[in-house]
Amino acid sequence: MEGYLVAIGIVVLINVLLALGLTLQYGRTGLINFGHVGFFAIGAYTSALLALQGVPLVISFVAAGAFAAVSAWPVGMVSLRLRDDYFAIVTLGFSETVRIVISSEKWLTNGMQGIPGLPRLYEGIGGGLPAQLAVLVTLALVVIASATMIQRITNSPFGRVIEAIRDNEEAVTALGKNPASFKLRVLAVGAGLAGVAGAFYAHYITFIVPDQFGPIVTFYVWMAIIIGGVGRISGTLVGTAILMLFLEGSRFIRDLIPAIPEVEMASIRLGVIGIALILFVTYRPQGLMGDYTQR
Amino acid sequence: MSLEVRRVTKAFGGFCALDEVSIAVETDALFGIIGPNGAGKSTLFSVLSGFMPADAGEILLDGHSLSRLSPHARARAGMVRTFQVPREFRHLTVRENLMVAAPGQTGEHLASLFLRPGQVRREELRIAQQAEEIIEFLRLTTVAELPSGSLSGGQKKLLELGRALMVAPKMLLLDEPFAGVNPVLTGMIVDRIRELNARGIGFVIIEHELAALTRLVPRLAVMDRGRIIASGPPEKVLKDERVREAYLGAVT
Amino acid sequence: MFYLQLALNGFIQGLVIGLGALAITLVFGIARFANAGTGDLLTAGAYGALATHKATGSLVLAGIGGIAVAAVASLLAYILVFKRLMGRSVMALLLASIGVGFAIRAFHGLLYGHSQYVFQIPLSRPYVFFGLRISALDLALMLTTALAVAMLFAILHFTAIGRQMRAVADNRELARVSGITVGRVMTALWLLVGAVSAVAGIILGMKTVVTPEMGWDMLLPLFAAAIFGGIGSPAGAVLAGILLGIAQELSTPFVGFTYKIALAFAVMLFVLLIRPQGLFGTIERVR
Repeated sequence: MEGYLVAIGIVVLINVLLALGLTLQYGRTGLINFGHVGFFAIGAYTSALLALQGVPLVISFVAAGAFAAVSAWPVGMVSLRLRDDYFAIVTLGFSETVRIVISSEKWLTNGMQGIPGLPRLYEGIGGGLPAQLAVLVTLALVVIASATMIQRITNSPFGRVIEAIRDNEEAVTALGKNPASFKLRVLAVGAGLAGVAGAFYAHYITFIVPDQFGPIVTFYVWMAIIIGGVGRISGTLVGTAILMLFLEGSRFIRDLIPAIPEVEMASIRLGVIGIALILFVTYRPQGLMGDYTQR
Repeated sequence: MSLEVRRVTKAFGGFCALDEVSIAVETDALFGIIGPNGAGKSTLFSVLSGFMPADAGEILLDGHSLSRLSPHARARAGMVRTFQVPREFRHLTVRENLMVAAPGQTGEHLASLFLRPGQVRREELRIAQQAEEIIEFLRLTTVAELPSGSLSGGQKKLLELGRALMVAPKMLLLDEPFAGVNPVLTGMIVDRIRELNARGIGFVIIEHELAALTRLVPRLAVMDRGRIIASGPPEKVLKDERVREAYLGAVT
Repeated sequence: MFYLQLALNGFIQGLVIGLGALAITLVFGIARFANAGTGDLLTAGAYGALATHKATGSLVLAGIGGIAVAAVASLLAYILVFKRLMGRSVMALLLASIGVGFAIRAFHGLLYGHSQYVFQIPLSRPYVFFGLRISALDLALMLTTALAVAMLFAILHFTAIGRQMRAVADNRELARVSGITVGRVMTALWLLVGAVSAVAGIILGMKTVVTPEMGWDMLLPLFAAAIFGGIGSPAGAVLAGILLGIAQELSTPFVGFTYKIALAFAVMLFVLLIRPQGLFGTIERVR
């Protein structure tokens, strides 16, 4: 039982980390990033490939976050000047391109077959509950640090410029500050968090394949922040918890009613997410915890 | 800082908004631009500040061409413009609006935010003081903590001016700074502009408030339908036939 | 010759992309948002046609069935979802359209399962023109597309409702003030969008296989073509789709089969950076 709870805890926290990145990008800065899973994938594969080369996990995790953050640069340079909806489509294209590259470049990533046998964190302690707990605690610390970092950024002169950009981008330009540069940095930080989340994910499930990094993941995260309340960290937590409740719950139902094949469940999940997105966007856009700013 | 505008032209489709406009503003001058509505005055500011590209002509700041500089780079170079319709950051308070305008803030660099928190804090105090001074000067104390979106039109105009002042530019392009501002405050702003000008800041001011403007600037230009039709000292310009025609229509 | 054959295959793929891009550009121009559920409307048309074909055995009826299903789905999406969100933020409409797409895809997955379906089309020897092979089906599909596009253009330019649609695209407020019932225009719009998407989906289904993801997988090329042709330009969308389809096929010997989508992405980026108005678009604010 404890093992199960710890496992759930790890998965929840990985998703919280992902959601925190998106909260900073969309909730605080208004960037409609539809390609979040792309950074998640880059982080996962970076850490996986480095770890398989014998690199210590601490370093590979940092590299995962760094590489994901750096990859935000070309994405941002190209697309941040674009209007919101074009930006969204381009980021979606980015994450799909990442998935295509991962699927096709067999020499690098083993293509569609994925990378099995990844080392777990804290393997030295010996498998089982103590190691899992250590992972959970580490992850929790990372999540707390990330949330603190985001708050610090928000309540700083940097955050003030971001708020000004949301209100009137041209006026910010007229004052001698470059909005694109600020948005780019926000994109990179959010991407870095997604990359670290990817590393935790890879070394938790120990076997990654390209199919795990499709757009549905991006929209799971979007659903989490919409349900919870965009821009508020408490909203991020609540929303992610509800999302996980739903995903885990659907697994329970399947265990109870074995007649439902997994693909059917996948379709049901897809449908529920779709309808939830529609309902929340239409009737409760501020989510359960309220919108950070009434926009 | 000297500004030289050489035969700048800008057209929108068939409509010629700026037709070979040429102006020379010497270092720390006080220069006015007047003209009927639709003459192209604000368009000129937009082109000068880089928000719109010119179709032809050159803009030189201290002898250097601006054509390669983006709008924010031009503002950083020292030429700051205000907008005719104020563009306040409506969710930010008046104080925050002013503070966000201060240039070169360490706290705007992510690394410094975490590695040099002490310096960031000190700068914030200094900037807050600067902002307070401007709030007092512009008589905005009572609304300083309110979101700027809730201000009156005249107050927003003042905030627009205050923000530009916070940037400490070398040349200010003010677009109708006195519109909607009461006469007493207008007088104080005129005095302040003279003060800043004495300290070396140049001003180019678009205005319809001729009374205030003519007291302030020793030289002005008149625009009509995209062209400069007269320029020189106010007394001479305002008596010019062409200027009267432009404002009142041709006298038959 | 090999390349010409590729180009011909690409042309037919391009028809699919062009029609889908047409659906996107119509919504963008008249309802002013990017409908990310367009791909799944294609799928709806394909499944509708499939079901009708199984029931009646007639390809013609299948086409009509598919169009009807997708048109209804499209109109329902408008009435149930998009209508309530008109005037809301970009994010709201985009996310809602993603949700609509998900819902349609889930519906297909549950109703039809995930196995690949194929249209039972009678085999026939392909015609050979100047060394190029082209099947009777391809000819029929090309003809159908030409007819569909022609009808759409006729509706847009020669009927009252079409004129009203173009008026709303030009200036929504002015159109409303001059007495155009926006509601009726919207109904016509979404029915047409569904119909056009259906034709695209049916062609795709007949040339390849029908799965719940088939339309969603095409979403990026559809957007790329819509942007390439110039958002808001129906002619541009079709032309750009054809060009993109040909380019994709011609590139496969060099970059491999799987990178086709990446090519669409590259084209989209290129257009947005270098010539944001695309082929025929107006200088719409892309930045």
